[in-house]
Amino acid sequence: MGNSIFVRNRSVPIFIAVLALVALCVTFLSPAYGTGALSVSFTKVLGMTLCLCLAALAMDLVWGYCGILSLGHFAFFGLGGYMIGMWLMTARTEAVIRANLAESPIPPTEAEVSQATALQIFSVVGAEDWPWMWAVSDSLVLSLVMVVLVPGLLALVFGWLAFRSRVTGVYLSILTQAMTLALSLYLFQNDTGLRGNNGLSGLQNIPGAEAIGQERLSVWFFWASALALGLGYIGAAWLVSGKFGNILRGIRDDELRVRFLGYPVEVYKLVVFTLSAMICGVAGALYYPQAGIINPDEIAPIASIYLAVWVAIGGRGRLYGAVIGAAVVSLLSTYFTSGRAPDVDLGFYEISWIDWWPVLLGLGFVLVTLFAPRGLAGLFDYVVRRQDP
Amino acid sequence: MSTLLEVNGVSVSFDGFKAINNLSFAIGLPELRAVIGPNGAGKTTFMDIVTGKTRPDVGTVRWGEMGHSLLTKSEAQIAREGIGRKFQRPTVFEDQSVRDNLRVSLKKPRGPFSAMFDRVTEADHARIEEIAAEIGLSDQLDRKSGILSHGQKQWLEIGMLLAQDPRLLLVDEPAAGMTTDERNHTADLLKRLARSHAVVVVEHDMEFVRRLDCRVTVLHEGSVIAEGSLEHVMGIERVIEVYLGR
Repeated sequence: MGNSIFVRNRSVPIFIAVLALVALCVTFLSPAYGTGALSVSFTKVLGMTLCLCLAALAMDLVWGYCGILSLGHFAFFGLGGYMIGMWLMTARTEAVIRANLAESPIPPTEAEVSQATALQIFSVVGAEDWPWMWAVSDSLVLSLVMVVLVPGLLALVFGWLAFRSRVTGVYLSILTQAMTLALSLYLFQNDTGLRGNNGLSGLQNIPGAEAIGQERLSVWFFWASALALGLGYIGAAWLVSGKFGNILRGIRDDELRVRFLGYPVEVYKLVVFTLSAMICGVAGALYYPQAGIINPDEIAPIASIYLAVWVAIGGRGRLYGAVIGAAVVSLLSTYFTSGRAPDVDLGFYEISWIDWWPVLLGLGFVLVTLFAPRGLAGLFDYVVRRQDP
Repeated sequence: MSTLLEVNGVSVSFDGFKAINNLSFAIGLPELRAVIGPNGAGKTTFMDIVTGKTRPDVGTVRWGEMGHSLLTKSEAQIAREGIGRKFQRPTVFEDQSVRDNLRVSLKKPRGPFSAMFDRVTEADHARIEEIAAEIGLSDQLDRKSGILSHGQKQWLEIGMLLAQDPRLLLVDEPAAGMTTDERNHTADLLKRLARSHAVVVVEHDMEFVRRLDCRVTVLHEGSVIAEGSLEHVMGIERVIEVYLGR
């Protein structure tokens, strides 16, 4: 296995080792399997952070390697969440309805159960029938297929239209912003079938797993997120370490040269954009069962901009940079905006971190751009360079 | 010798300015041809038209033994037909090693999935080493091409052109930024290539053109004003006029 990805890309074994170590620590500190130093909610925060890291990894593939600054990647993340959320809500609601109807003297028909489930789910938006997009929501397998298929298809159609017309640079970024904004506004409407601004809720209750309890589920989801991130990292490293990666970076640095070498640049962009959207879909599908709720606000344009900021702070074009950026910034964001950070009383003015966090983030972004243009991960270069002169 | 590329009656204008005016040009296989002309004569626009970067307003561009049109094809398709181009300003992938630059240029399937599963075979490896020796970069293979000197980047881009193994090479100012020895080597290399390829060289440097010792096409204001040996065209009054800037 001299040509294996573990040898070709030195960051892979290190990354997997660190990820395994983190997973072990979390397990030993978890309430279900360890000392209980971590609360259930914080275990979930950590698991969700890993999902955000996976989304950042996907973002780095398109932006860091191929130079496509997508400011709409959270649309794919959110769609992945919606796809799994439909199954979670349907199966869970149906179980509750069945339990309630079991006490009635006449056993309910399947049609009655289905009708009652729909009424329960959609009465909040004044509807009582299943919308077409819930067609596969009763099947876990099909819903999981939709998790990668729907974001992938959206990326494929959007990318085909944009890349074929050779839209690049800031114009493409604006288009991607428009895409996520349009999707978010569409979902905000009550009659689109995804419960409008109520979104999908109760997603933390996994159907059929009621007996397991959130203490253990939180750790299981953390493991699943870690596994997805690990596999995503290996896959992404494999993609960028070979000739495909050389061509992606070629497109980023000199698109015209790649064209004149005979490569169909549009097809390459489309492949990487679609793959990246699918990874985001998976990340979203793991994230929202831990968050418990998804609504159209999640895919507002600002979320996708944050994703780009994480990758920029972490360091573009080096995979682990995106992961470090997403982990550090999103954990700090949770710390400062959830009231965990103590407010500072200056006597004449009280610094409330919830208000000041965006300022801090903006300042950090400016400082990194000025003093560490290769991002936080770029600091590793000093260590590595000492090893091989 | 059969005709490989035939450009006929091509015109193109940018905002009313006629960059190429009823230009006709043909090159066979194998052949070496130098294209000269003062700044703004339309040399680069001519190459843009052949490689699909610019679409002409009128005229035809025919390619190969079957003489099919290149005008409906994209840049990448034209490149895959076997037309390689070296730009005036050296364009190499500065962030990547010399070896990787050559590797992506090698003549292999160009699709994304072929690229994902591509492995450097023994034959690829040997070809890369061979090209590196030809362009004098054997000991630089694993260095980033961004740190090469201007002349070395020129060489690398010529090497990338060789790796593509095209039938027609369009070479824009290959000798710029090179020392006399390097120029001589470049001229010799191009002459050797022209035994089995069609090579079009755009150049300002008359010494270099003299050394190429080939048929010369003189462009002026988007049209061919003379064609023949260097001695012949330099004896034509119109050419002297254009070059002395009267």
